[in-house]
Amino acid sequence: MFPALTKYRHAFLIGLQSNIVYRWTFGVRAVFSVFHLAFVFILWGAAYKGQATIGGFDLNQTLTYFVVLLLMQFFIGAFNEDYQISEEIRNGLINQFLLKPINYYLYRFSIFVAARLVSGLLALVPLLFAFPLLRDYLVFPDETWRILLGVPAALMAAIIQFTIAYCFGLLTFWFLEIQSFVILSLAIETVLGGQMFPLDLMPAWFFRISQFLPYYYQMYFPSAIFTGRLDQAQAIEGLALQLFWVIALLGIANFLWRRGLRRHTAVGG
Amino acid sequence: MSLLSYLRIWLACARYSVVRTMMFRFDFIMWSLVEFLWMAVNLLLVAVIYAHTDEIAGWSQYEMLLLVGTSMLVQRFIMGFFWSNLFEFARNVRSGHFDFFLAQPGNPLFMVSTRKLDLDGLANTVVAVGVIIYAVRQLGLEPSLLQIGSYVLMIGCGILIHYGALLAIVSLTFWLGASQGIEGSYFTLMEFSRLPREAFRGAANLIFVWLLPAVVVSNVPARTLLHGFEPQHLLWLAVTTAVWFALGVTVFNRGLRRYASASS
Repeated sequence: MFPALTKYRHAFLIGLQSNIVYRWTFGVRAVFSVFHLAFVFILWGAAYKGQATIGGFDLNQTLTYFVVLLLMQFFIGAFNEDYQISEEIRNGLINQFLLKPINYYLYRFSIFVAARLVSGLLALVPLLFAFPLLRDYLVFPDETWRILLGVPAALMAAIIQFTIAYCFGLLTFWFLEIQSFVILSLAIETVLGGQMFPLDLMPAWFFRISQFLPYYYQMYFPSAIFTGRLDQAQAIEGLALQLFWVIALLGIANFLWRRGLRRHTAVGG
Repeated sequence: MSLLSYLRIWLACARYSVVRTMMFRFDFIMWSLVEFLWMAVNLLLVAVIYAHTDEIAGWSQYEMLLLVGTSMLVQRFIMGFFWSNLFEFARNVRSGHFDFFLAQPGNPLFMVSTRKLDLDGLANTVVAVGVIIYAVRQLGLEPSLLQIGSYVLMIGCGILIHYGALLAIVSLTFWLGASQGIEGSYFTLMEFSRLPREAFRGAANLIFVWLLPAVVVSNVPARTLLHGFEPQHLLWLAVTTAVWFALGVTVFNRGLRRYASASS
């Protein structure tokens, strides 16, 4: 068991180094995200004029939700993993993994973890600069169960994020260009993952349906636990459904990998 | 070269783009769908907020829709005519392929900016116009010819402003070299054009309304349809257009002097 872990530890360390090379790219993206936060603050600040609550939450609670969402994006969100995997399949770099006793999913996942560690820490930099402006808006509920349930929710969200990106990457076995699929799915994910607005502001039936889809567990779910938008019963039910999606997506990824390899012709390499 | 020959070059590029699009029909449909979905996402945001409130900074739901539609229209034109040209220009500067453009017998800026059209971006201008007309109908507006004429003119100014800003941003590649995703700042900036001017206060007002051209681009045309023609607003837009177009061209030309090709 442990020698197997060593392999992936090395993959993680190499991933760490190669992602530190892209520190500027991540840093620049983080700065843009803080500007996006300004957009969010201005828009919702104006929408809240003349009313204390929207959907049962006050302005500060909603703004805190968006700040947590931003942090989540950099700590657990998939960036261009789909594209990297797609490239490896296309130029035949993937062939080497077929000959070695290494699991491609775990190898890629180790690199993903390293990348999120780098991008997450870098995102903290502009947020720290903005902190004096943000401080007065941040309000967090103080129940401890929120941390206890929120942390596993965030970890499973990371697995879901990565696995969906991984599956999109594997589509390269069938399609030459996956970019448009990825951006199409990103648009859906932006809405159903609660990145555009908190999902609880949607009509009740829509909110309920979204809870059965994987997107809900990518972003909205952990952020909503941390920021007090879900109660304990909803959080526990959600964790069960989230676990179901983790298993289901891992199954799909495995299926695509097996099927894809049958079509794979190992060009280049 | 005369203006006529530039027009001929542009038409040849346009024809080539159409032929190319016809060849990759599936791609065209997919990308049109992608852009369409993103527009729908932004419209959904408006719908969701107005399900919970009656006004944002004094703008009613359909007034806001008109504003968002206007902002989309300008952005669709930029996507259709210039985005991928300027994006590739930055990439070519990095790789040294930019040499090829300098070797052509024409103004380098023209050659760089007009190489191809993205028909999927242009296809979605129809959707943006649809959104605008729908909002105008819902508001019960009956714009005069003067209003419509100045609206169209103002959209033209908006395109020039966006073009200038985008050109200034991507021309920074001459100095920065490596790609750090600076092109993304254009989208970050233009996100603010979907907000009503009255929502900006304090420092945000100074930065986004006065220093950067994000707000003026969409708010002035939308106001013209809503509240009639206001000469001082047209003047504001005209000055902004001159400043940002000049800025883009200046940064480009300054950068051009620094360009020393790359290993290739």
